[in-house]
Order: sequence, then structure tokens, then C-alpha cells
Amino acid sequence: MRYLLKKLGLYAFIAWAALTLNFLIPRLMPGDPVRVLIAGSEGQIEPEAAEAIAAQFGISDDPLIIQYGRYLADLARFDLGVSLSNYPVPVIDIITGAMPWTVILVGVSTVVSFLLGTALGVLLAWRRGTWSDHVLPALTFLNAIPYFWMALILVLILAVTLGWFPYAGAYDRTMFPELSAPFIGSVIFHAALPALTIVIGSFAGWVLQMRNMTVTILGEDYVSMAEAKGLPSRMVLFGYAARNAILPSITGFALALGAVVGGSMLTEVIFNYPGLGYTLFQAVSAQDFPLMQGLFLIISLAVIVANLIADAAYVFLDPRTRQGA
Amino acid sequence: MSISSLIPRSGKVRVGLVIVIIFVVLAAFGPLISRHDPNATSFDMLEPPSGRHWLGTTQTGQDVFAQFMTGARTSLLVGLLAGVVSQVASVAVGLLGGYLRGVADDLLYILTAVFLVIPGMPLLIVLTGYLPSRGLLSIAIVIAITSWAGSARVIRAQTLSLRNREFIEAARATGESRMRIMFFEVLPNMLPLVASGFLFSVIGGILSEAGLAFLGLGSLTTTSWGSMLYFAQNSQALLAGAWWWYVPPGLAIAVIGAGLALINFAIDEYSNPRLRTGSATKGTTSSRAAGGDATSANAQVSGIGSSATPAPGGATGATAEHVALTEERAAEADPELVPHVRPSPMPGAPIIEVDSLRIDYPTAFGTVHAVQDVSLTLRRGEVLGLAGESGSGKSTLTNAVTRLLRPPADVAGGAITYRAEDGTATDLLHLEDRELRALRWNEIAVVFQSAMNALNPVTSIHAQFDDVIRVHRPGLPPAERTAIAREHLERVGIDAERIDAYPHELSGGMKQRVAIAIALVLEPDVIFMDEPTTALDLLVQRDVLDQIMRLRDEYGFAIVFTTHDLALLLEISDSIAVMRHGELVEYGPAVDIYRDPRHPYTKNLLSSLAELGSLA
Repeated sequence: MRYLLKKLGLYAFIAWAALTLNFLIPRLMPGDPVRVLIAGSEGQIEPEAAEAIAAQFGISDDPLIIQYGRYLADLARFDLGVSLSNYPVPVIDIITGAMPWTVILVGVSTVVSFLLGTALGVLLAWRRGTWSDHVLPALTFLNAIPYFWMALILVLILAVTLGWFPYAGAYDRTMFPELSAPFIGSVIFHAALPALTIVIGSFAGWVLQMRNMTVTILGEDYVSMAEAKGLPSRMVLFGYAARNAILPSITGFALALGAVVGGSMLTEVIFNYPGLGYTLFQAVSAQDFPLMQGLFLIISLAVIVANLIADAAYVFLDPRTRQGA
Repeated sequence: MSISSLIPRSGKVRVGLVIVIIFVVLAAFGPLISRHDPNATSFDMLEPPSGRHWLGTTQTGQDVFAQFMTGARTSLLVGLLAGVVSQVASVAVGLLGGYLRGVADDLLYILTAVFLVIPGMPLLIVLTGYLPSRGLLSIAIVIAITSWAGSARVIRAQTLSLRNREFIEAARATGESRMRIMFFEVLPNMLPLVASGFLFSVIGGILSEAGLAFLGLGSLTTTSWGSMLYFAQNSQALLAGAWWWYVPPGLAIAVIGAGLALINFAIDEYSNPRLRTGSATKGTTSSRAAGGDATSANAQVSGIGSSATPAPGGATGATAEHVALTEERAAEADPELVPHVRPSPMPGAPIIEVDSLRIDYPTAFGTVHAVQDVSLTLRRGEVLGLAGESGSGKSTLTNAVTRLLRPPADVAGGAITYRAEDGTATDLLHLEDRELRALRWNEIAVVFQSAMNALNPVTSIHAQFDDVIRVHRPGLPPAERTAIAREHLERVGIDAERIDAYPHELSGGMKQRVAIAIALVLEPDVIFMDEPTTALDLLVQRDVLDQIMRLRDEYGFAIVFTTHDLALLLEISDSIAVMRHGELVEYGPAVDIYRDPRHPYTKNLLSSLAELGSLA
């Protein structure tokens, strides 16, 4: 388990780095956020209020290290400050309200996209040198389409023109949020189009990676040996080739997840989906710095946890990492 | 070098290049040819495309075509800037860390991990949220900050593997400075990686800029494809059906992104030949079996290649070899050079007969004849040694018999027959998949060249015994299958308790023994051994060899033993076949070949062995 412990240590460090980055950004960026805020308010905030806002913000003339200590102490109490645009709602409350929407929407669509893309990648690798090679340029094109534009086109076709799906919100506004079948049905109905966008926008990347990796692995001696053993193609492909080819996909999860999360945030904005991405967009538009930072922190931590899970799965799949257990 | 040789052969890459060139030209000259100011409003509001406004107008009457052209300039510029900055950072961090090792590497590795894991887009949004003024340059730099890490990690890994290569060691020995070695010796050897990283950084830069601008976080004074989409979205262009406003910018991003990615296909296929697909392959000789053989053959042949026509710019190994091969055949008029075949005195009934086998590799420069008119007979219990340098066609030959030949290798003629104990003949080359699977391992087993890669690294030894027994002996209960596997491990001198070990937990010699034990498990009639001892050190090599011969005496299987080590073959084989340039130059009983070699090539080999003292 040394491998996992090492990873755990690394992620703990990354989490700390994210916390610290979050602390430093407002203090090190050129320009004073408080002044930006007052300038942006077009006279609605009196310059005299500057000090009060700065205090609210945790920015003061105290030495950085004392500010940092206070920041960490606040974090330990889950105190992320108070939202400026929804004054005086605590940032943590806004985040906990938005989080489930994103976790479910992005979580489910990422898993679906990973499974779909990986399976298709193996299939294309197995059938390489045939019609399947002509699918590659199309997938490359699909992979390069910006999520938000894809969302716009899907909205146009499926929501506006055909009217099959709603194009905004997370559930029917006339309904009261509760754990009832009609409400859950409405949630799924509203999530379908954003989820479809995320899946279509991201699965091609998994296909291309898995296809290239499987093609490479198919040239390995152990695959030839499996074939020479007279095993059925299915066993050669899944037990030997794909089983090894999936490993880099899992280590590459960090890279991909960041992109998926980024893309999903834009998707949420287009669908007015009340998740973290949409909230971050609103926070940035309203220059609600405390909310912005709280969101950045939570999204980073969520991605770190997802990576930790991917690494644990890796240990399970690759015996070489279990050495010295 | 003529201009034509600079045009890539792959269709995908050509399309990619054309796309990118078109967009670069649009970005450079587009704003000059559009007749409207991209920001000028007019009363032609939300008009569809017309002769006056080629791509229609926006809600405030701005010309979409003019905006699109200016947007192309912005997007490409930001993408290029972000790509350059991010790639410079990745190269610096990756090279320094990978080359210097130690604490510097640890720190840089952790730094990379931090930026790799922290999601880029939210960081980007937060950072730009704080930017007091958003110019193109500051946007590009912020994008680069959030995107360098992935490529840095790839470059570090490559540096780690390059730093111990001989040419780097040599540079160190001559006292070159570390900076010089890093940037003039290591870096040039990973240009494909850097180029590929750069392409993806540019794509990432264009996408990020578009995403930011779409959120209203881009440069507010410049028109970009992202900001066009932002305004289109904010003015409900979608609901108004103004497709001409929001379709072109998004499509352009996707097309240029795909164009850059298509160019990257060429880089991928260049650095990983296995990825070359059928049509792209033709020019460059690939496939597993040919890959090693043909290219290394070229290395050897070119020495002899004498006055061969100077290879044209884009020529690959295939041409030179092909030319050399034709020359070789012209020389065959010399009676000494014809193949020398002596009848084998071996008793036993024939088990595998190869009759006038010809195998070709089609390439863009003509056909390479990897195996030419080879006939062999293997008898029950015989040890046949197949000798020849790399590229002589011996692996192609054995792969044809075991049916492991990969495309584009093509059996051009001849036959391979397997004879069962009762004499029934099976045409190996025309076997149905199901019949072939049933024959495999039951009758013909294979021990692969490098024991390192012949075992599946992610499953236990037990599983690798078990799958083959389960498939071929379906009725057998699991406990009995395990007992058979354990028994065979013991046979090759490995403690049966190691059955649950994974390949990485075994030494090289043990892995080779396991591979042999797996080959024995169904008690086949023939075992093909492809350089089974080459990767092992001398003592272990001797040990494994003795084991093989002992097991042969015990089970009575025939062996086809492939190696370039003629001395070894003389010791263990009943008969020997010597191959060169795809032809069988000498074939006969081992004793005769040792005492009385007839082909000049065999004579040369033997006399050089005698000089080295390898022959007693």
C-alpha cells in the first residue's frame, strides 16, 4: 500500500496548495479587489465602505502570515465568508445548495462518457485497418467542438426546433422540490440535455486515447501469446489487451477530469442549471469575490477527491503498484 | 530534397495542414478584404446572409463576416501565444526535473501535480475575474499558467528515459555542460513530443479563450469568436433563429481544433509506428512482424548496398532493402550462392511441412519479399534450429506457421501442412478460426522472444495457466486445473507456491521458465521458441537451455528454435536451417553443416565463430 500512501500524501499536499493558492490569489493579483468592486458598482457602494468590505473579505493590513492563520481557522469551521451578491447568505450555504446538482449531472455524465468512450475505443482498435479508421477524423472533430457551442446547437435542435426537451433550469418551476416520483422525473427530464451535451462533448477524447493505447498494446508479446494460446478473441481483447490499455486512461483521469469539469461549467451556464459552474459564472459577473473563491476551493477539492478515487482504482487494477504491500 | 517530398503522405495530415493554412490566411488577410468595420453598427439588424453582408448581421446591425475575420485573428493569436508560453514552461520544468533528478525533480514534480489536478477552467475564471484589465496578452498568459502541466509531465518522463542513453552518457563523459546537454542533446530527441504538446496547447488556448469570452470574461475591447457567441447568446440569437450569427464562430473553433489534432496524428504515428493505419502504412513499412525485421535488415543491407540508386528524399528502409534484394538475386548466377539443401536423416514422421512458402510485404515502393520460396520439414521429436541475422525473415517464417503474421504481411504462395499423429493432414494456412483455435496450444505452442513481455503484467501466473486450460479442456473442474498448473511449475523448477505471483515479482529467468511451463501445459507436439534465452544472462541461459532439453526428452515434443546464435544451435539441434534475406541458404543435419558448410554465408559465420573460440 506504499503506492497509495504516497499518493495520499501527494493529494494532501495538492489540497493544501489549492487552499493556499485560494488565499494568495486575491492578495497577489494586480489590482485591489475592493477597489475593483467599488469601481464596478458604479457609485452604489460608497468609497467609505471600502474598509468594511475589506474586513468582510479577510483582507487587512495585518502581516500575511496572520491573515493566513485566520483564513485557515475559518476554513476549519467551514466558514468561507459571506456572499456579497446575496448578502448576507454565507458562501457555504450557497455552495451546498448548488453542489448536488453538479455532482449528479457532471458525475453521471462523466462516468457514462468514460465507459462509452473506452468501450468504443477498444472496438475501434480491434477493427483497425478497416472502415473504423475513417471514424477517427470525425471523432477528432467532435473532440474539438467547444462544449458551450455543442450545447447551443443541441438546444436549437432538440429544445427549440423539436421541443423535446426543456432548455433551462433543473426542474419544472411549478413544482415543489420534494422526493416524489413526478419531481424526480422532472429533474431527470431537465438534466437529459445538459448531460447529453457533456457526454457528446467528452466521449471522443476517451475513444481516441483508448484506441491508440489498445492498438499499441495489441502489438505486445503477451497479446500474441494469448492469441497463440487459442483463446477466443473476446478473451484476448478484454483479458489481455483492454485490461492493460485502460491503465493509462485511469492515470490520465486528472487531465481529462479538469477539462470535463471546465466544459461542464460552461454547459451549466447555457442551461441555467443551478450547479457550481452556473453559480461561479454568476459570482464572477457580480464580482462576488468571496463566493468565487469558495467555489474555486470546493471545485478543486472535489476534483482532488475524484483523482484519489481513480488512483485507488488503479491500485486495484495494476498489481505492480501493490508491491511491498 | 524537392518540394514534393515535403508534402506529407498521410491524407489526414494533408487535410489538417490545409485547414490550418486556410485559417492562418483568413486571420492575416481576412480583416483587409471585409468591407465593413466589425464594430460599426447599422440599421440592417439581424439580417440573414446576403450579397451586402456575406454572413448576415447582428442585432445591432454589425457585419458578422467582418467580426468573424477579426475573431479569427484574435483566437489564433491567443491560441498561439498561450501555446508558446505554456510549451516553454512545460519544456523547462520537464527537462530540468527529468534531467537533474533529486530534490529539484521532486519539487518540480509536486508543482506539476498541483497544476495538473487543480481544474484549469475554474482557476482561469477566478484569475481573470481578478484581472483589472483584460488584454489579449494577459488572457493568453493566464491560459498558459493553467495549461502547462500535462505536457511537462510527459516531457519529464521522456527525459528520464533519455538521460541514460549512450549518446547522453557520451556527452557527459566529454564534459559538456548540463545546460548544453539538456537543450542540445536531450531536447532535439523529443521534438515530436514537444510539437504534439504545442499543438494541444494551441487547441486548448483557442478553446479556453472562447470559453472565457463566452462567459463575458474575455478581452472586452476585442472581437473574438468567443465574444461573438457571448453577444449572440445574450441577444437570444438562438431563439430568434439567427443561425448565421452563432454557427460560424463555433464551427470555426471546432474545425481549426480538428485541423491541429489531425496534424498531431502524423506526430503520433511517427513516434509510435504501431498506430499507423492500413492506408497510411503503405509508405512506411510497419506491422509488428515487419517492423523489426525490415528496418534492421536495411541497416545491414545498406552496407553492402554498394552502388544502389541513391534513395530519393522520402525513401524509407523498404526501398533500400528492396533494391538490395533485387541485386542479391542478380548475383545468384554464381553456383556457390544457390541454396544448399541436404536431406535430413531424422527418423520420425513429418509433423510440419513448409512447401515453397513465399511471404510479401507490400510497400509504396514495391514489394519486399520477406520469405522467398522456403521449404522445410519438421519431424516428430526433432529439434530444428533456425538461424539468421535480424531481418533474415526467420520470424516472418515462424509467425506464418503459428499464424501470428500481422497485416500487411501477405502469404503470396506455398503451403504449410500440419500432420497429426494418425497422419491426417491439416492445411494451416486455410484453417477456419474455430479450428485454428482448437489446434493452437493443443498441438502447437509458442515461447516468445522476451520473457519480459510474454506474460500479461496485470494478472497472476495462475490466471495465465488457467485461461488456456479452461478454454481447451472445458469439462475440467477448477481444482484440477490448478493442480495441472502447479505440477507444470514444479516441472520447470519453480516452487508451486509461487503460482499466485504476478510476473513483476519473478526474475527474468523465472519468467522464461513460466512461459515454458505454460507452453507445456497441454502437452503439444511442437513448440516454437523464438530466441527464448537471448534476454537472459549466461548462467541462467545455460540453465534454461538444459531444462528445455530435459523436458524435450521427457515429453518428446519437436522444437523449432529460432536464434542468431549459430554456436548454440550447433549444440542443441538435430537439423539447422540458415536464412538470409528471406531465403533459405543452407538446410541440413547439424553435424553436416558444422563439418562441411557449403554456402559462403554459412562458411563465413562458422569461421568467425571459430576465431572467437566459440566452437570446440
